[in-house]
Amino acid sequence: MTDTRRMPASVAAPTRPRDPAVLRLALVALATVLVAALALGLGAGGWDWQLIVTLRAPRVAAAAGVGSLLALAGLALQVLLRNPLADPYVLGHSTGASVGALAALLLGVQLWIGAAAGASAAGLGLLWLARPALAAADDASPRLILLGAMLASLFGAIATLMLALVPDQRLRGAIFWMMGDLSGAEASGWNLAGAGLFAAWLWLRGRSVDRLMLGADAAWLLGEPVRRLRLELLVLTSLAVGLAVATSGAIGFVGLVVAQGWRLAGVLRTRELALLSVLSGAGLLMGADLLARIVVAPMELPVGAVMALIGAPCFIWFLARSVK
Amino acid sequence: MNPAPLLETRALTLRAAGRCLVDAIDWRVQAGERWCVIGRNGAGKSLVLRALAGLGVPARSGQVLWRGRPQQDCPVGVAATLRSLMPQQSQDRFALTVERTLALSEVAAPLAAAGVFELMDALDIAALAARRIDQLSGGERQRVALAQCTVQGAALMLLDEPVSFQDPAHQQIVGRWLAKAAPAGQRAWIASAHDPSWIARVATHVLALFGDGGWQAGPADEILTAAVLERTYGCAWRSVDGAWIPA
Repeated sequence: MTDTRRMPASVAAPTRPRDPAVLRLALVALATVLVAALALGLGAGGWDWQLIVTLRAPRVAAAAGVGSLLALAGLALQVLLRNPLADPYVLGHSTGASVGALAALLLGVQLWIGAAAGASAAGLGLLWLARPALAAADDASPRLILLGAMLASLFGAIATLMLALVPDQRLRGAIFWMMGDLSGAEASGWNLAGAGLFAAWLWLRGRSVDRLMLGADAAWLLGEPVRRLRLELLVLTSLAVGLAVATSGAIGFVGLVVAQGWRLAGVLRTRELALLSVLSGAGLLMGADLLARIVVAPMELPVGAVMALIGAPCFIWFLARSVK
Repeated sequence: MNPAPLLETRALTLRAAGRCLVDAIDWRVQAGERWCVIGRNGAGKSLVLRALAGLGVPARSGQVLWRGRPQQDCPVGVAATLRSLMPQQSQDRFALTVERTLALSEVAAPLAAAGVFELMDALDIAALAARRIDQLSGGERQRVALAQCTVQGAALMLLDEPVSFQDPAHQQIVGRWLAKAAPAGQRAWIASAHDPSWIARVATHVLALFGDGGWQAGPADEILTAAVLERTYGCAWRSVDGAWIPA
């Protein structure tokens, strides 16, 4: 019986539209450069070459690096936890990194080491706690997000307790990491280099990461070394969050808005997502920091608060979409 | 000389929740054979398929060999070329399209685009190519999962209830496709299923699990008898015009 063949194969052969990936990437790159130019050119003091080079450029570079790192961390965390709504800030990685940074400050260790260790501890804790949720057949999204939110407030409480212990002369620096702020950030090649390496890894492992989205068992059956992949994802995410938090403190929602935004726009391949995340994560945070600088000039807002104002409504919207 | 069978088990024993579900099964599956596994709910059908695929099970002993190679000696990449598994339920969290999902599932000897389309057409999912897998109906998603399992290209396909969500028309479509999906000397499949009439049309061999560790394996017409079905399901069966009906 051939009643299911609605038309001959030759007629119905799949015709796919040209992949708009390259065009999309070029447009996003252009927009990012535009935002960078605006961020460099606008602000108190106007167009002053000296001002741009010595003051704004380091800050804009820090924003770009941190934005890229956080966007990539969000992308990786979403695959690792099989939850498109994961974000290092929402799930406690960032607050864990803050605790680590504070501990490093108290002990006199390098900040980024403490931040990376804190982010790793938070990540491992979440993976361990979420194991039943990750294996469950039902949709574990709300449970996982609640678990992450609880971890985040637990780390937040620990950070607050530690703040009480920090000597007064170091308090300003400590509060800086808590708020998520770029005003004191120094340009660090580490952020941009780290983002580049992270994106390169995601590019190299693109197909494997794509398969991981089908499920851990499914990826393993297709021949992927799932355990190693997930370990690499966890380590890279923790390092990225640690680097970002050490530079700017815990800034939220970049990973969520960027990676999930592109997913909803129909970008499914990890390779393309990684490139887009680097560009638009940088663009988004440079733009948010620009707003933080100029909206109530001459005063400045913490960029973490600006990102939360953008990100939290996005999160609520994504969540409402995923539940229906 | 016969080549090594696609699948061989040596005294494979599986336990779950303190019960022995499959006791010391010695089993060979050759290319060209189409096997159905029958048994009551909880008798261990899915457990057997998971163990054969190499996935974790609560407790097992004995050996599983793919093409003569012990399962545990196969690197994960090699295993992917020897066997594929269609799970009872897919766990979709991301909005991948059907087309992309199938492309990600190709491992050994990827099919040409025309081959993929022919397969999708035969399983009546060609019209779904651009749809999101997390928005398909249960039956549609199940046929896509069968296609995923097929494009992986492994010679041994393990199918956990491939028609449980199919309407009667699509049970026929999938059944007809399965009946041709194991050409002699190339492929074999093992599927868990429930309807003896459907199995009689589709399978060459049957493995019956009795739920207490006991099992019986053999050609379909030897296993699909009133006596074995009654021992399997605990109720009487009669055959009417080639269709099995529980009494």
